[in-house]
Amino acid sequence: MSETAVKTGMRKSTPKIPESGRMRRIIKNRAIYLMILPGFLYFLIFKYIPMSGLIIAFQEYQAYLGVTGSPWVGLKHFERLFTEPMFFTILGNTLLLFFLNLAFYFPVPIILALMLNEVRREVFKRFIQTLVYIPHFMSWVIIVSISFVMLSMDRGIINELMVMAGFDKINFLMSSDWFRPMYVMQVIWREAGWGTIIYLAAMAAIDPGLYEASRMDGASRFRQMWHITLPSIRSVIVVLLILKIGDVLELGFEHIYLLLNSMNRDVAEIFDTYVYTAGLKQGQFSFSTAVGFFKSLIGLILVMLANKLAKKAGEEGIY
Amino acid sequence: MKKKKASSILAIVTALSVLAGCGGGSSAPAATGTSNGSAAQGENKSEPVAISIMANLHTPEVPSDMIEKLLEEKTGTKLEIQWVPDGTYDEKVNASFATGTLPQVTYLKNAASLVNMRDAIRNGQFWEIGPLLDQYPNLSRLKPEVLKNTAVDGKIYALYREVPLSRQGIIYRKDWADKLGLSAPTHIDEFYNMLKQFKENDPDGNGKDDTIPLTDRNDLVYGAFKTISSWLGTPNNWGEKDGKLAPEFMFPEYMETMNFFKKLHQEGLINQDFPVTSKTDQQNLFITGKSGVYIGAMGDVSSLHPKVVEVNPDAELDVQNKIEGGPNGYGIWSVPGYGSVILFPKTAIKTEEDLNNVLTFMDQLMSPELGNLIYWGVEGTHHKLEDGKVIPSEDTKLTDREVKPYQAIQVGGPLTIEGFYEPKHMLPVKAKSEEMITENNDYLIEDPSAALDSKTFNEKGVQLQEMIKDGTYRYMLGDIDEAGFQSVVDNWLKSGGQQIIDEFNVSYSSSK
Repeated sequence: MSETAVKTGMRKSTPKIPESGRMRRIIKNRAIYLMILPGFLYFLIFKYIPMSGLIIAFQEYQAYLGVTGSPWVGLKHFERLFTEPMFFTILGNTLLLFFLNLAFYFPVPIILALMLNEVRREVFKRFIQTLVYIPHFMSWVIIVSISFVMLSMDRGIINELMVMAGFDKINFLMSSDWFRPMYVMQVIWREAGWGTIIYLAAMAAIDPGLYEASRMDGASRFRQMWHITLPSIRSVIVVLLILKIGDVLELGFEHIYLLLNSMNRDVAEIFDTYVYTAGLKQGQFSFSTAVGFFKSLIGLILVMLANKLAKKAGEEGIY
Repeated sequence: MKKKKASSILAIVTALSVLAGCGGGSSAPAATGTSNGSAAQGENKSEPVAISIMANLHTPEVPSDMIEKLLEEKTGTKLEIQWVPDGTYDEKVNASFATGTLPQVTYLKNAASLVNMRDAIRNGQFWEIGPLLDQYPNLSRLKPEVLKNTAVDGKIYALYREVPLSRQGIIYRKDWADKLGLSAPTHIDEFYNMLKQFKENDPDGNGKDDTIPLTDRNDLVYGAFKTISSWLGTPNNWGEKDGKLAPEFMFPEYMETMNFFKKLHQEGLINQDFPVTSKTDQQNLFITGKSGVYIGAMGDVSSLHPKVVEVNPDAELDVQNKIEGGPNGYGIWSVPGYGSVILFPKTAIKTEEDLNNVLTFMDQLMSPELGNLIYWGVEGTHHKLEDGKVIPSEDTKLTDREVKPYQAIQVGGPLTIEGFYEPKHMLPVKAKSEEMITENNDYLIEDPSAALDSKTFNEKGVQLQEMIKDGTYRYMLGDIDEAGFQSVVDNWLKSGGQQIIDEFNVSYSSSK
């Protein structure tokens, strides 16, 4: 704040607050700042302070020596990560699952929302909406257990039906080939309905006048959807896409950990599961922190990339 | 007006973001049992000593605090027992250790968990208790040869909980075997034949070819795999080959075991999903009569029997241990004399006086009175005494809720607790299983690496073992062939396995 700004500010307000301009604004809007405080504290305590723990990625962390006492080892753990035979498998699996997620899951809520938007009877629409939201509230444990029961080789209903139809049984649960389709389908089943909420809200905000005008011009329902609905929610789609990319490596630890077994490890091991096994199960805290650090780095790069692309395409981006 | 609206929106958004944040974190799996402080009212008028314990919970629910209260009353302590579910016990111990929050009395999950802690023990994170044990009348009854197996660099840091050396054997449906004219198998070929007959000859008589003879689970050690490998003569973890130690999977018998399982899997004699089957599901297959043979701890027959009979009142169970498969006759793998060990972290026990308090409590746990209390419960409620022998209550739901979890905090066991009640089993098959467990003691295959040390094994052993485990499953399911398994072993050697072999051999020859 420059001196002049302070003086002009002082002249306008009561002379009882002789602080700088920024301070004065804070006091003036204290109610709003107070309200932002819990959110601010949340990020500080749960997101920023724990970040200091990343230090141990550069140490040979030993619990009894603590952060201050453990010896520094530089980039040793990163070197180990890049030379680990599993590294490229894990990186490949993580990225591939992410792209599959983006390609197959991301469009589903948009399509579903468009379909729901076209439903004329309000009661019916609400009913369907509620129905597709429900899976979101089930934990992955339940969803994976249900799929286990259905897909089991020993009397799983899907395999029984296949046998009845004259096909051979397929070992879905323990096959490298079936892991990815199974993963994507489960994500769609659980999340697609919930994902429609924001799109539906965006569609509700579209000016009905546009539709009326297009009807005058003889546009069909499909034309309306293509030329009015979709362009109107375009910016929402872009923002959600960027946010989704930000979550690139949040593929759902619980979900994958539950599906992971000896037979599909070559396609199912991702950074999160690897961090868990190496860190908590085997007590290699420094190494697993380095792995987690590396993962976050990729996430950051992808978000920045996506944001840049969005801005290039004339959209607003997220920062 | 507009401003007001804006602030209320802001408030909602803030509230939502805080809520969302809370929703994201998963809740801690640990449940803490606390007591309400009316402990030392009896003869002990002094301030109760607070003792914190972390123990392994084998039942789905945290037990009632009835026994805990009794313990507090009798020892003049105030207990804080942290019950941690069995499935995540190792992770919880590791996480608590990393954050310096281990309790005063830390039970490890099993013998293998001690390996992870060796480095920390060497670095002086735990109290050395070896020289102190003489001062405690009950603790001094712990066997020196078993304590030696828990030692690190020859020093004793841990107390131990006893388990029988080998409980392994099969539990099978005797009514099915009788119907098909089969007797208890004594050779692996007879065992195979039994499975085959169970598959083909409709033992449950429902007219459908729908039985899964053998039920197994996702565990190569406590499931069926290691027991069958013993029948075929595979060493226990490590074995001697040309005078040198080598890991079990480099022995031809290990390959033979995998081939046996591959055959079972191909012919549908085992549940097809066994690499991903949980213990509960495995037992359910047996309980519901879909499957007729269970391999594991023979003592499980006492908990399986009532459940099987509930489903099918005509069902009969039997146990069998001695099944030969190799040229050397029957043999069975054993544990090194202790089921789990108990460590005393210096982060939680600051002074020698505190250590004395804790050890005094542990000593009392081993007294005849309390040793029996935590194992058998309260007389009249959880068991009856007859001719000095104990008859456990038939209400297993009650004992599961009030007594069974406390068996996890036992110190020592029947061999070391003076006047520990012997059970009188009302179920003949349970009594038979106990006899067979004793009989197994004459046929033990011991793990020669139990008291040995390898730096690389301490660091990477668990991770490397995962490679072998994956390879073993993939071979058994026909995903890879013999050359494929060999390349897994080569990879193991390259990733640090060779160092482990060398280090164990150095340690082995110096201990001879």
